[in-house]
Amino acid sequence: MKANEWKWALAILVIILLAYILPYTILTEVANWYGSLLIWIVLTLIVIIMNYFISRNWGK
Amino acid sequence: MSTTYVWWAIAIYVLASLFVAYLSRSGKQSSMSSYFIGDRKLNGFVSALSYSATTYSAFMLVGLSGLTYMGGVGALGFELIYLMGVSLVAFFGPRFWLVGKKYGYVTPSEMLGDRYDNKAVAIVVSISSCLFLIPYSAVQLAGVGYLLQGMTDNAISFTTGVIIATVLAIVFSFIAGIRSVAWTDSLQALFMIITSTVVVIIIISKLGGLGDFIHTLETDHSELLTVPGNGFWNFTTFLGMTIPWFFFSLSNPQVSQRLYMPKSLKSLKTMLMGFMIFGFIYTIVAIVWGFSAAIKFPGLENADLATPLLLSSDLVPPILGAIVMVGIMAAAVSTIDSILLTLSSLFARDVYGNLKKGATDLMQLRVGKLVIPIIAILAFLFAELEVNLIAVLSVASSAGLLVVVPAIIGTFFWKRGTAAGVLTSVIIGGLIVVIIELTQIKPLGLASGIWGIVISTLLFIIVSLLTKAPEKKANEFLGYIRTALEKEKR
Repeated sequence: MKANEWKWALAILVIILLAYILPYTILTEVANWYGSLLIWIVLTLIVIIMNYFISRNWGK
Repeated sequence: MSTTYVWWAIAIYVLASLFVAYLSRSGKQSSMSSYFIGDRKLNGFVSALSYSATTYSAFMLVGLSGLTYMGGVGALGFELIYLMGVSLVAFFGPRFWLVGKKYGYVTPSEMLGDRYDNKAVAIVVSISSCLFLIPYSAVQLAGVGYLLQGMTDNAISFTTGVIIATVLAIVFSFIAGIRSVAWTDSLQALFMIITSTVVVIIIISKLGGLGDFIHTLETDHSELLTVPGNGFWNFTTFLGMTIPWFFFSLSNPQVSQRLYMPKSLKSLKTMLMGFMIFGFIYTIVAIVWGFSAAIKFPGLENADLATPLLLSSDLVPPILGAIVMVGIMAAAVSTIDSILLTLSSLFARDVYGNLKKGATDLMQLRVGKLVIPIIAILAFLFAELEVNLIAVLSVASSAGLLVVVPAIIGTFFWKRGTAAGVLTSVIIGGLIVVIIELTQIKPLGLASGIWGIVISTLLFIIVSLLTKAPEKKANEFLGYIRTALEKEKR
């Protein structure tokens, strides 16, 4: 893997870990739309943006 | 809902899809690579839509909505963690694509067999994919059965629904192989997402708008907004369901085979990004759908009936209800036909092609076409077993496919991986998953998928270290990827 790829892989891994940890810890009592519902959506959007940056130069 | 509407909607859908399938017949489909992977010439847009249609099935608006209905927001986390897992394509996609082109691979298991320099690897991996994917297709077929039955109040029976879906899947894959599948998939993907999004918007407005919708959830169903919430999504369940799906893009050959199909790396990029956006929208739609059902019809015993009830309720205009129902059916059919095609290519290429001496490409193609209806009928028979909870069986199948993931990762990232390592990890890992699923004994409370991935990883590493790696092939294979990626970078 290229060095650059490792950095992206690590960043995505961290976001995914947060997607497991946050809803089951600090958000277990937040029964509102801005609790787990929002956090999962936001984390996914971040990952999608990262994928855009990883694949931006493919085939160029 | 009026049965007449439903039949009309089905008729229009079938005619439109057949027309598109007919139009897709370009060129001769006289070789394995042209029939099963479209000569590696798919454009990005079709690749993205077809990848979406193949991945997203009746599970979304029936099973995932059902999981939301029963356990709340955990279903969103489950499905979005899967979507984040598609990032694996950002790393494995270009590698699959490059070696596919260079060595002419038609199936992922063919690639494993070549990379580990052992025909048995290709045979075993493809057989294990067939074993686990046939029940998965059966789940899709059953989804259509439940849906038609539920929406028409038994006027269209479960079996009729299942037969319609089976026949359509056979026809769509038969007409022009992957070309007809990819084009009908694209039509169906657009149909699925547009109709379901429109309906969700209508449902929310009928429930008093987004503000009221959220307010009702927060006040009357607050347990649905947290995990573990009402207890359904306890952490071990969450882990047991998310891990298999996280690796779905690698473990499921009907999607990993698609990494060979785009015509360029640029098309592969369009496929990845297009899919992620599609998946994001479709997931939100399915979750809102499940929440709406929970608000409107609390207390159902069988959560899989939530969607049919919602569609035939006064919240959705009857014609639109019928159209969306067909959209869900399209989601199922577009998944099954891709699986059918992939499984028949696996059988023809890796099982028949390796066991029959001197099996030419043309002979493999003939066998492949012959196998399509046979696999469909097997799935049909399975579907007739009427399994209660659609989502659970889906997850069980992906747990079984998971055991091949260590071998796929090793293909690209571990020179020391050996054929013996692959064989033991896939065979023993697969058996353990089957035993856990059959006995429903969960050691340490962990699901079959987790045991599958842990045991297969350990076996792959340990056995590989004890046996001799195919050094020459590994060096050549990985060396090619390295230089090709560097060239791309420039």
